[in-house]
Amino acid sequence: MRYRIALLLALAVAGWLLPYGLDSYAIHVVNVIIIFALLAIGLGLAMGVGGQVNLAQVAFFGVGAYVTAILTTKAGFGFWVSALLAVVATAAIGLLVGTPALRIQSHYLGIVTLGLALAFTNWVTNAQLAGGAEGISAIPVPVLPGVDLSSEYLFYYFELIVLVLALAFGLFVVRTGLGRRMRATRDDALAAGALGAEVPMLRMTAFLLASVYGGVAGVLYAGLIRYVAPESFGIANMFLLLAMVIIGGRQSLIGCVVGAIGLSVVRELLVDHPTYAQLAYGAVVVLTVVFAPTGLAGLPARIRARLVRRTAGAAQLRPFQPYEPVAAPADSSVLLRVDGVYKQFRGLKALDGVSLTVPRGEIRGIVGPNGSGKTTLFNVISGLYRPTAGRVEFDGREMTGKAPYRVARAGMARTFQNLRLFGDLTVAENVLVALDRSRTADGWRYVVNPFSVHRQDRRLRAAAGEVLERYGLTEFAGAVPRALPYGTQRRVEIARAVAARPRLLLLDEPAAGLNGDEVRQLGEMVRSIRDSGITVVVIEHNMGLVMSLCERITVLAGGAVITEGTPAEVAAAPAVIEAYLGDSMSDGDLPVPTEVKQ
Amino acid sequence: MQVFLQTFIGGVSLGAIYALVALGFSLVYRTMGLVNFAHGNVVTVGAYLASTFYLSTKLPFALAMLVAILLTGAIGLVIERVLRPLENRDFDLMLIGTIGFGIVLDALIIMIWGATGRAVPSPVPAAPLELFGVRIRTYDLVVLAIAATATVLLVFFLSRTKRGAAMQAVAMDHEAATAVGIHVGRSNAVAFMIGAGLAALAGGLVGPLLYVSPAMGGALGIKGFAAAILGGFGSIPGAVVGGLAIGVLDSFTAGHFQGYSELVTFLVFTVIIVIRPTGVFGERTVNRA
Amino acid sequence: MSGATFTVAGLTVHYGGVCAVRDVGFEVPAGQAVGVIGANGAGKTSTLKAIMGLVPRTVAALRFGDVDLSRVAARDMVRHGIGYVPEGRHVFPGLTVEKNLLLGAYARRWDAQVRAALAEVYELFPVLAQMRGRLAGALSGGQQQMLAIGRALMSRPRLLLLDEPSMGLSPKLVEDILAVLQRLGREGLSMLLVEQNAKLTFEATLSCLVVENGVVAMTGTSAELRHDPRVRKIYLGL
Repeated sequence: MRYRIALLLALAVAGWLLPYGLDSYAIHVVNVIIIFALLAIGLGLAMGVGGQVNLAQVAFFGVGAYVTAILTTKAGFGFWVSALLAVVATAAIGLLVGTPALRIQSHYLGIVTLGLALAFTNWVTNAQLAGGAEGISAIPVPVLPGVDLSSEYLFYYFELIVLVLALAFGLFVVRTGLGRRMRATRDDALAAGALGAEVPMLRMTAFLLASVYGGVAGVLYAGLIRYVAPESFGIANMFLLLAMVIIGGRQSLIGCVVGAIGLSVVRELLVDHPTYAQLAYGAVVVLTVVFAPTGLAGLPARIRARLVRRTAGAAQLRPFQPYEPVAAPADSSVLLRVDGVYKQFRGLKALDGVSLTVPRGEIRGIVGPNGSGKTTLFNVISGLYRPTAGRVEFDGREMTGKAPYRVARAGMARTFQNLRLFGDLTVAENVLVALDRSRTADGWRYVVNPFSVHRQDRRLRAAAGEVLERYGLTEFAGAVPRALPYGTQRRVEIARAVAARPRLLLLDEPAAGLNGDEVRQLGEMVRSIRDSGITVVVIEHNMGLVMSLCERITVLAGGAVITEGTPAEVAAAPAVIEAYLGDSMSDGDLPVPTEVKQ
Repeated sequence: MQVFLQTFIGGVSLGAIYALVALGFSLVYRTMGLVNFAHGNVVTVGAYLASTFYLSTKLPFALAMLVAILLTGAIGLVIERVLRPLENRDFDLMLIGTIGFGIVLDALIIMIWGATGRAVPSPVPAAPLELFGVRIRTYDLVVLAIAATATVLLVFFLSRTKRGAAMQAVAMDHEAATAVGIHVGRSNAVAFMIGAGLAALAGGLVGPLLYVSPAMGGALGIKGFAAAILGGFGSIPGAVVGGLAIGVLDSFTAGHFQGYSELVTFLVFTVIIVIRPTGVFGERTVNRA
Repeated sequence: MSGATFTVAGLTVHYGGVCAVRDVGFEVPAGQAVGVIGANGAGKTSTLKAIMGLVPRTVAALRFGDVDLSRVAARDMVRHGIGYVPEGRHVFPGLTVEKNLLLGAYARRWDAQVRAALAEVYELFPVLAQMRGRLAGALSGGQQQMLAIGRALMSRPRLLLLDEPSMGLSPKLVEDILAVLQRLGREGLSMLLVEQNAKLTFEATLSCLVVENGVVAMTGTSAELRHDPRVRKIYLGL
């Protein structure tokens, strides 16, 4: 910590002293670099943090600059008023550009955003209002009482303050709830939705942030150069920005700044050979993508991982601490009702009229041979699939076909057959995403009352600490999922799901890949979770676990329920034996399993 | 009506070029699930190579095109080989990787041929023909004929040959494809090579129509990409329909909106894509599970 | 054709921290059918995929006759006479039935011999002949299963690996598949049948392995295992 403060102080001093050593050309270059650094942070927020392909960043830059230029030169507004309106306008465009992101992703989003950027260039090159190909010149100097901002040296300090504030704000967003939810959505939108993250709104927020940063950069550009023309906001600069962010490391805002500074310096050094510079950074982008996808910012972690390989086994999984049992509910009313659900895919009927009811406080097992529709059923219940016919009712409320994040917010949580942890978030952050119930619309608090955000984050971290403690994961809090043993990862997923404080927990093959000891621990954990007041439904193949853990079992085969009952009843039912073994058993030489009751 | 037809016909030959570009995009997407953002730059390389062999070494137009196509195909092989580790794993990173290649190609073009462009004379007499009161340039007919032939050959390759079937199989299920003996990496390399070849064909053909410059690939690439998506990404008939549609749309907007034609095209495209992301014929692609 | 024995020894597969298959070994004598049964998650599919080389594996021995297959790439297994019918069919949905079948013979030249093989497959599965021009994705589950088997047969394999061909099929269709497997067995094709459906396996094979948690828990002839109560216990995890 002390080291960090010393480093920050050193940087502050260096930043303050920098202009003294530079001539007027050099300070101009530095000023342009700072503007690109701002743009890079914005792009990093959208692409690296939000996971949204954003090739329109240069258009946001352009909108900010041009609106400032037009309002000052054509409408006669003062600089600061124009600047404010410019940022607002850019934000509006950002939301507009983000709207396609609600429906399309990846390459489609890339082409749409790129197309819109080109459309912007097309417009400014042709429109009279924007001065056509000649652009707009003679933008007035921004007036700051007592400071002559026409001096590049003084403008530098102005830009530096803006950059520092912008970077600090960006880092604040990334490290608290909103940024975490954005990163979770980036890593695994499915799992994020299942934990209540409002995926569409978070994607829009990514574009909103990118556009605000772009707009601010545009304003600064207009105030610095005092001349705007179409070439500065074209595709060449967009790809340059992209290179900065990729090489620097798109997931790290500091990496983006480093990338912007580094690439700009290289271009300056090669100013007499611009094409060689372009060749170089294009090649570095390709090399980065193939060999070091996390960019420069990711290098320290990779180097550390190589060096520290041996001591990896230090962290220990501590035992699970059972919950305080809550009194069983007086009514065992129905919590989950599935009514005649059909699910038809092209050419495959996955669910064929499945009905079941789960009362409050029960541990229900769902079993059946491979391909019998168990996970499909979970997907319908949790909102991932819309059923072809039938209804899902949760706690008396209609849930059929609702988006997963709405179902999650209504009180349902789940785990996945193939483990869906957020790969680039730590264990603690995985749990924090589940604990964080804030709505994206409350994001305005970041601007108006950041302290309340900070306080809430502290509370969440304390709560996360308790969850990790209970599940014995404290020593793994700072680890990334892929570094953990498989059994530990499974436990993290369960801890995360329970952290969302659900009333109904769906576990999809939680014992898969676990050894006998781990399965036993799992059974105790699930029983304790139920005792804390959560109803549990488990899909499992490990029949020993199912028989000893579940109070009732529903058996699926071929997409339909073939039997339901207590473990003893189900184990003896001929239909079940037939479904599994393909043989009917009437000799009854199967021993009746004894349940281990708590 | 006359004007309408003239505008329509005027857009068809450029539309055929867009269709060729779109075919290249769609083929690579359909077989590899990769969006190649360097495709436009490959078109430019093809245009420069073809015009260089045609103008400087005085090869006959057809031969110049052929050499350009072969050389550009080799570039496609290089790109695929370098990005192979990312195949079937991280699509977003692959996309950015192709952007990187695009930047490199753009720089190489300027380094080799300079930043100013060149005009390419038409290899056939420039006098337009008159058909039903509509004027068509001879060269436009040449472009249409060649583009149509290329499309037919591509369709033939995909539907009638063993390698063509294998290429599609790889996209649908690369594990099952491996089990029947198909070399997935090589199949992808061939797909990329053909895609690059189509790009070079488009670039070579467009020389006499537009001014050959380093920036031309950007506009052609973007419009070709939009055409591919509009028609249904990965669909061959979709690429053709999309290309012609955008060519015609371009022709009409150029007449009415002058310089804003690109803006209009893009707004139209964006609206359609948001309403129906899979395009007119539906998306045909790799299983991204 | 003088037969070749297929031998596996010391097969081990690790998936992301889990040991899915540990030290599995067995033999498939020439012209015989061997079954691998077990509950879900027992490691049966992993075993087959590892034999094919579709997942990373370590193996002490992998031989077909006197040919060492341990270093052969997955795509070349078919050229050594190994046909593979994946779990879940995995037909090429956007291609026609006939194209799917022809691709099964990708490793050979598409000549008169391949046409003959195609005719044989159509004779074995008449319904495929009827649907030859339909897209494979439009077929029902049972038809796709037949297509997957037919596709594997097109390469004229000497050993056929089948992964849960009965999954998701109705009992009637399972009987049809059984009939086909029995016929193929009579024609001298070696088979390795991985299945969850024990009854089908006992009727289609001469000997079986029972796999539990990635290791071989029991072996024996199908006749013996069929009546062994321990098999049921292993399935129901008791």
